[in-house]
Amino acid sequence: MSNPMNNNQTITEYLLGVLPEPESERFDELSFTDDEFVDSLHAVEKDLVDAFVQGELTGADLERFKAHYLASPLRREKVEFAKALQTFGEQELAGLRAKPARTAATRRGWFAALDTFFAPRPAFQWGLAASVLVLLIGGGWLVVDNLRLRQQMSQTAARRDVLVQREQELQKELEGQRMANSQAEQELARVRDERERLEQELKRAQQGGTKPSSGEGRIVSLILVPPLRGAGQVPSIAIRPGTNQVAAQLQLEAADYSAYRLALIDPAKNQTLWRSGNLKPRIKGDRKALAVNFSAGLLKPQNYTLRVTGIPPGGGSEIVGDYPFKVVK
Amino acid sequence: MNEPYVRKVEQKKNWTLTTRAFNRLLNWLDEGANSEGQKYLEMRRRLIAYFDRKNCSAPDELADETLSRVARRIEEEDFIESETTARYCYILARFVFMEYLRETQKGTVALDEIRRQMHGKDSTAAEVDDDKEKMLNCLERCTNSLETANRELITKYYIGKKGVKIENRRSLAASLGITINALSIRACRIRDKLEACVRQCANEAK
Repeated sequence: MSNPMNNNQTITEYLLGVLPEPESERFDELSFTDDEFVDSLHAVEKDLVDAFVQGELTGADLERFKAHYLASPLRREKVEFAKALQTFGEQELAGLRAKPARTAATRRGWFAALDTFFAPRPAFQWGLAASVLVLLIGGGWLVVDNLRLRQQMSQTAARRDVLVQREQELQKELEGQRMANSQAEQELARVRDERERLEQELKRAQQGGTKPSSGEGRIVSLILVPPLRGAGQVPSIAIRPGTNQVAAQLQLEAADYSAYRLALIDPAKNQTLWRSGNLKPRIKGDRKALAVNFSAGLLKPQNYTLRVTGIPPGGGSEIVGDYPFKVVK
Repeated sequence: MNEPYVRKVEQKKNWTLTTRAFNRLLNWLDEGANSEGQKYLEMRRRLIAYFDRKNCSAPDELADETLSRVARRIEEEDFIESETTARYCYILARFVFMEYLRETQKGTVALDEIRRQMHGKDSTAAEVDDDKEKMLNCLERCTNSLETANRELITKYYIGKKGVKIENRRSLAASLGITINALSIRACRIRDKLEACVRQCANEAK
């Protein structure tokens, strides 16, 4: 509708039948051929009817509306509809038709009842907004707390793993120590066995070539050091009753020979009472010694001498030294 | 009166709208597009509104008569190229209205009396209240069948006194991002749908 003359007032006059004939015929044709005019015509007609319903029409317009517009049954139906729409809208705004919600829901259906949430009620909307906000805050706090707890759990799990690993290490260490202890115990047992063996060997060595007297007898030890030049105190031993053997250990100044022999001499009678076989010196560090056992029955309370002779490789013998000692009761 | 004219008038009176003719009418109104009958319905509405503005007693019958004559013309001449569809319908509608006037002038007094009686008919207060309640119930039902946006639009557009209504419409147009004119057209179409629904509901309730 491009003609500026076709304004709402003109259209109203056309609807009320007061427009001159040529203008009216032009509008008649436009009501078929011009879509824009048709839309305007409908809109103005509805506003005209609403104005009548709401008592806004006055004077000549009101009279013409009653005489001309209401002459048509179809147009009277439009007025009735406008009245109902006005009443309905006022009741909607007043909230009268929205109650009771339960009855409306049963009449209109469940989904239509949801429309009560979208009705313009500020208090309800604010309350709903506040509830949503509280839910959001609560939900956010729960999420944060959940994350914190998860972090704690992972830290605890990590600590637990460390402790488990440490436990395994200590277990291994304990096992190692147990193994070491077992080995030490085995070593101790072995050493004990060795000591016993050596003691027995010593016993045998102390008994030397002499046959042991019957039964068990005491052994008296005699340790002699190389004699000093000049007078010195003569070592003495006491032969108690029951003593069978004398275990003599003679320290040597030097171990020049590979073998030695010992002779027990009575110096008063210049008599050799006993001779040993070839003896090898025992070397312990810087000390060299000869060990031999002989029978205690050969001795009486008097002085004696143990003479040490060395056996050179070519044969023969050479006196190394005399070791005096005294037997006392 | 000569023979060809008499024969022609008789042929016109004996002509009936066939399915084929009706389909050709639909195609002609669509002008090449397929509106699924919407162009026909819109043209019929405009014809009814035209005859109603002329205060014809049966505007829907006159609208159908006009469309029938268009269909017959298409059948007889196979093609109408002199005018656009809308203008041609208007031209025929004028002819139909003129014929209607000639016919009613023969019985002008009787028809005017009937019209006045229809206009001045009084209903009892109870009947008025009952009809009003029925319409309100139908209106509630039909309004609830609208989409939420359309329901809100029509409530805000048409409710309220003049000053409030104008302000409501202005803010409504702004909120929708459309002009007042576009809002007016949208509101009109929703109201037309609502009115048709209420009319049907009211008829079912009778």
